[in-house]
Amino acid sequence: MVSLNAVLVISFLLFSIGIAGVLIRRNALIILMCVELMLNAANLNFIAFARHSGSVSGQAFALLVMGFAAAEVAVGLALVVALYRRRDTVQVDDINLLKG
Amino acid sequence: MEHFIETIGRNMFAIFGVLALVGALLMIGARSAIHSVLGFLFAMLNIAGCFLALEAEFLGVAQILVYAGGIVVLFLFVVMLVEMSKKHEGEVFQLQSRYAVLAVAGGVALFLGVFRKAIFGASSPEALVLRPELAKGLDVAHQNAQAVSRGLFADYLLPFEILSVILLVALVGAVVLAKTERV
Repeated sequence: MVSLNAVLVISFLLFSIGIAGVLIRRNALIILMCVELMLNAANLNFIAFARHSGSVSGQAFALLVMGFAAAEVAVGLALVVALYRRRDTVQVDDINLLKG
Repeated sequence: MEHFIETIGRNMFAIFGVLALVGALLMIGARSAIHSVLGFLFAMLNIAGCFLALEAEFLGVAQILVYAGGIVVLFLFVVMLVEMSKKHEGEVFQLQSRYAVLAVAGGVALFLGVFRKAIFGASSPEALVLRPELAKGLDVAHQNAQAVSRGLFADYLLPFEILSVILLVALVGAVVLAKTERV
């Protein structure tokens, strides 16, 4: 059987990798993928606690989070495409219009 | 041999979880965006395996359909649109990468240090089994999709409807953001 702690450790490590990716990468696409990874880590926690408490609410909410992630990806990729069209780059360091 | 197979069957979650971590590391470490997308795909498939190992069958299959079938394809399309020109070779990682990695590693070490006793100690709680008295009326183990649908459409109907509005707004927003200047 799976122990709750194993799930929590795996999901915590996935979330940490996601944060590290957001902090260290320059490519906006990869930053979006890292955000997706963090949402998935949260989903893993939802499912683990649903399993632990024997209720199905966590699984229903994980499904809602999955739909939310799909919406977020659609808007994020549209932003990346619009950015590429306007500034001809997807590197976040090149987007410095607001820099004084 | 049979013993080996049994061991694998018992540790299915750990195997999938470690493979998901490997995929995530490949994703943030790869130099080209295509390789990152492939690492992302690998991580998502293994997370789906984790869901299956936790007996959330419906969500595992939905994860494969939504991520491997939809989101990865979207990412590949955008990579194809955007990354064709090689003029921005440059540096892949940020200037502050070293400090960021150090900070995240410090956070991980802090977490594992604080919760060391709870996670690895002898008093760590019992295995994650379904408690039948809590799942009365919702036969989670045997008919997962039915149970999830009851949770989704009976208990959480309002969040579900709100999510559908959010999806509609995202759809319209994506079209507006990505369309060209002259219609």
